[in-house]
Amino acid sequence: MSKDIILKNGIVYDPKNGIDGEVKDICISDGKIVEKVGEKAKVIDVKGKTVLPGGVDMHSHIVGSKLNFGRAMCPEAHRLEKPMMRTKKTRSGVTGIMFSSYTLGYRYSSMGYTTVIEPALPPMKALGTWEELEDIPNLNKALLPMFGNNMVTYHYVKEGDLSGLAGFISWILKATGGWGVKVVNPGGTYAWAYGKNIREPDTEIPQWGITPREVIRSLVMATESLGLPHVVHLHPNNLGRVGNIHTTIEELDAVKDIKGFKGRKQTIHLTHMSFETLDMVEEGKPEWKDVSSGGLAFAKYMNKNKHFTADLGQITFGPAMTMTGDGPFQFTLHQMTKTKWGNIPVDVELPGGAGIVPYNFEMKSPANSIQWTIPLEFALSVDDIWRVVMTTDHPNAGPFTKYPLVLSWLMSKKQRAIWLDKMHKFARERSTLEGIEREWTMYEATISTRAAPAKILGIDSRKGHLGIGADADVSVYSFNPLKTNLAENPDLIVQGFSESALTILSGEVVAKKGVVQKTPHGKVMTLDPQLNDDLAARVASEVEGMITRWYAHSFKNYPAPERYRAHLEERIPLDARSVTA
Amino acid sequence: MSRVGVKVTLTSGRTLLQGRTLEEGKLTDAYRDAVSYVELDGATLDALGIEPGSLVEVETIYGSVVVTAKKSRGEEPGIAFMPCGPYANTVTSDDTQETGMPSFKSIEAQVFKADASTISDIEKFVGGNP
Amino acid sequence: MTEAEKVFTDVPCTFCGCLCDDIEVEVNDGKIVGIKNGCAICKSRFLKHHENRLEHPSIMKDGEQSSVSLDEAVSKAVEIIASARRLLIYGLSSTENDAHREAYKIAELAGGVVDNTSSVCHGPTILGVQESGEAAGALAEVRNRADLVIYWGSNPLAAHPRHISRYTRVAGEYIKDPKKDRKIWLVDIRKSETARTVDKFIKLQPGTDLEVISSLRALLRGHRLAVDEVGGIPVSELQEAVDAMKNAKYGILFFGLGLTQSKGRFRNIDAAVRLIQDLNSYTKWNMMPMRGHYNVSGANKTSTWQTGYPYAVDFARGYPRYQPGEYTAVDLLARGEVDAMLNIAADPAAHFPKACLKTLSQIPIINIDPKENMTSRLATVNIPVAVAGIECDGAAVRMDGLPLYLHKIIDPPEGVLPDRDVLGMIYKKLEKEVKK
Ligand SMILES: [Zn+2]
Repeated sequence: MSKDIILKNGIVYDPKNGIDGEVKDICISDGKIVEKVGEKAKVIDVKGKTVLPGGVDMHSHIVGSKLNFGRAMCPEAHRLEKPMMRTKKTRSGVTGIMFSSYTLGYRYSSMGYTTVIEPALPPMKALGTWEELEDIPNLNKALLPMFGNNMVTYHYVKEGDLSGLAGFISWILKATGGWGVKVVNPGGTYAWAYGKNIREPDTEIPQWGITPREVIRSLVMATESLGLPHVVHLHPNNLGRVGNIHTTIEELDAVKDIKGFKGRKQTIHLTHMSFETLDMVEEGKPEWKDVSSGGLAFAKYMNKNKHFTADLGQITFGPAMTMTGDGPFQFTLHQMTKTKWGNIPVDVELPGGAGIVPYNFEMKSPANSIQWTIPLEFALSVDDIWRVVMTTDHPNAGPFTKYPLVLSWLMSKKQRAIWLDKMHKFARERSTLEGIEREWTMYEATISTRAAPAKILGIDSRKGHLGIGADADVSVYSFNPLKTNLAENPDLIVQGFSESALTILSGEVVAKKGVVQKTPHGKVMTLDPQLNDDLAARVASEVEGMITRWYAHSFKNYPAPERYRAHLEERIPLDARSVTA
Repeated sequence: MSRVGVKVTLTSGRTLLQGRTLEEGKLTDAYRDAVSYVELDGATLDALGIEPGSLVEVETIYGSVVVTAKKSRGEEPGIAFMPCGPYANTVTSDDTQETGMPSFKSIEAQVFKADASTISDIEKFVGGNP
Repeated sequence: MTEAEKVFTDVPCTFCGCLCDDIEVEVNDGKIVGIKNGCAICKSRFLKHHENRLEHPSIMKDGEQSSVSLDEAVSKAVEIIASARRLLIYGLSSTENDAHREAYKIAELAGGVVDNTSSVCHGPTILGVQESGEAAGALAEVRNRADLVIYWGSNPLAAHPRHISRYTRVAGEYIKDPKKDRKIWLVDIRKSETARTVDKFIKLQPGTDLEVISSLRALLRGHRLAVDEVGGIPVSELQEAVDAMKNAKYGILFFGLGLTQSKGRFRNIDAAVRLIQDLNSYTKWNMMPMRGHYNVSGANKTSTWQTGYPYAVDFARGYPRYQPGEYTAVDLLARGEVDAMLNIAADPAAHFPKACLKTLSQIPIINIDPKENMTSRLATVNIPVAVAGIECDGAAVRMDGLPLYLHKIIDPPEGVLPDRDVLGMIYKKLEKEVKK
């Protein structure tokens, strides 16, 4: 058991509990935040430093076949920054834009992050993913299996069998150790099996006679009937196409009428909005030469429509590695860039259909400079930061190590002006970013990197805050926002967030001044939905039939075995017995 | 005494028997028999004046090895096939051209009727000086 | 024949990269007595797994192997590793993933090189992919959808005996009649046994793969060739092939060592990758290497996530560096650059060119394997281990990237541990040694 700790006199930001920069002590015992600790507790003086809940990243590609495909295909990407040497406490590894498993955990930890979600698990490859999770230290983690291009999903959608679909979701979550439902380019990736894509919600999916709209709606309804903590996590159709803001809004509109579980307001999460809200100039065509920012328009839509949340997928500049379950988009990108293109099959059994293409975002590129403005314009125009999460869709729009830079753009107008000067002139001409005065406060930055993602993931009772009973995941930064005007000193924001003064994971100090001290596993949060017996039995036999018929390996060997999970897993039961058979 | 040799392109590869016997054991007679032959076409056998089952010497610039001759089913003049394994490796190149991969396929070779009365001794390869 | 006491079903066969997981293993009295569904090699693997085993840990003394305890063998292994200036760890493709992870720990601690057998099978494939990418395929997708299947430089009937019957000459959801709705071609330099079972055999001259693939690309792009034949194939036949490939709804290229080991090596793969990429402008094409050892894909994968690189990884500087041609086993051995070797689940003495054998016979080798082989004859230390997928569990990766759980069917011989445990013992002891 780790020692009790008291963090003394820090400047605390804890939005869930309404604490906005108060000097306060935080007491930690037995891995939890507690009211007070005894005299024997270790006293850590954090006077003049910023104390936040540990960082929560709700969308970052940290494990799995796509990432490894990218790592193996692009060894040159591993030497962009210095590798990490083996030390007595830590393993060695590469850094750059993808990292190797150990160094990935260390680097996140040294930045003050404590929870990271892998948002694209091909369910059938869960075993390999669990093996890899074992080697990512210092983080709590969770996985979102993909459902949007899966033939079993399509079977239930086609039959209009929402109970069956809910049962299938439960079955997959149990079999793979998943946390929620990910949907990527529904139907479009499936069509990619024949070299095609689906760009609009009402185009029929080949061989099935159903549409992306029906797939999204059915998955949202099934998820809400189960009451999964996290809503459907959507990467919509038509990604990366100029003018696609209309498709995105149409697909969000498509689920607006669906009632949330126990009256919850949000029923869907839109991920990496930067790629999905491309607008075009007036009387323009859907071509890159006519692209404009849809950030403001989308913020207005969000301010009016309360049923969804979004993360940014902020474009940063320099080398990145694009990897999505959107195979057809990735092929288009490959044709544009003429760089390497990796593809992972669409497949009934690997509902992924991923593409992997290295990409260099350039400030002088008209398209890239506009893409840069979109999420910033959006995030600075939205009323409710609780529905907006800062991400870079690591490593798609840039590696997670760029988060401090992204925060500096959001928190400092001065910084934006400096960067606007480096951009192609379209960044000024085709977005409203230049005129935006707003600067995110520390409180807002804390919402967007801690409290909001925890809430959207449905882990906010324990994560993303520092109230009594919360998990003792804490990060301390050495800057003092009460004394320093951060907006005027954007370099301090970048520096400050690049290395935590202290990172505490489950009550243990795991990193100090950017150096990893301890390497505990962290927990992998999984859901264990309990269905009523009739539904469980029906779905088990139906799924067995479909997997046996469509897959090229044995049904029995589908689930990720306990031996690879049990010691890492924090399995959270979910009573879903009310879903009718 | 001059020797009559036939020029061939030597290639090596997997066979079902090689797979089966290596699963039994790499030091068994069955494995040795499964990897210590070369397949030649009828015309080559005729030119060498030998019957299938005779011993031949396969020679490349990397080395030479005595193995049993077999008649290939494919009847492809100019192609000699050996199952992958220690015998084939005696005559393959270690030059990987900076890739890590030696030349296991399509090596220029000559095949002779063997003077020796037995196939090469596998033990000697391991010693490093066959 | 009596009824088996116990039947294990859905067992993955740990021979080749197909990892067929429909094997039924019959066990009587703690012994495997029957195999159903497996190929001839699978039967040999399961039914004869107990034959020709390394019986005891042993250490070479005066040219003879003499039996020692496991502890003594481990101590000797640690002594060799600790005193090595340049250690090579090699093999790994015929054992399960957890063993790999232990091997990387040792490599890192000892500052050695770790390479797996892909450097002598599909290493060039990886290099080709690093040039231009890869449109990877999956086996169920092939079974359900492919209407044109090409095997190139591969002889599945010999090396992957059930590949054709399980994945290609079999009906799938959208291929109702696998003979009528799907065509299978073979491209090779010789008329192998597989050639006799396919719909079309294209014979090319040895060493001309690169020319032939490049010509197919040129024809696909509408160029006219100023020659009548390429690689011994008439241009008219190549044109027919291109037309059929373009008109397929879903094509798959399975390629073997005929492409990776022959002249051109990774350039052949690079060209093939680009041909497949070009075809994707017209229709759907994917490709898949016919991986040989059952877990060579796993070795690439574990190495990639832990170190960033799929094989040929050097830890001499305390962090992973990658360079095929430098840190690959054949090069290091042929050049005599290593002074000790830890060999796990491979038989380099049987499978490496002659020049490597010279170094192998001169340096101390720690050999970890269930069975006797040519390397065990040379080794300074031999440590017998359990056969993964029969005597211990583990995870492995199919040729299309699917991870599968390997089952433990029966107990290993007494005192014999899985690779991962033996390597773990070596690591622990080495760590103490290094701290001294
Ligand atoms: Zn993503």
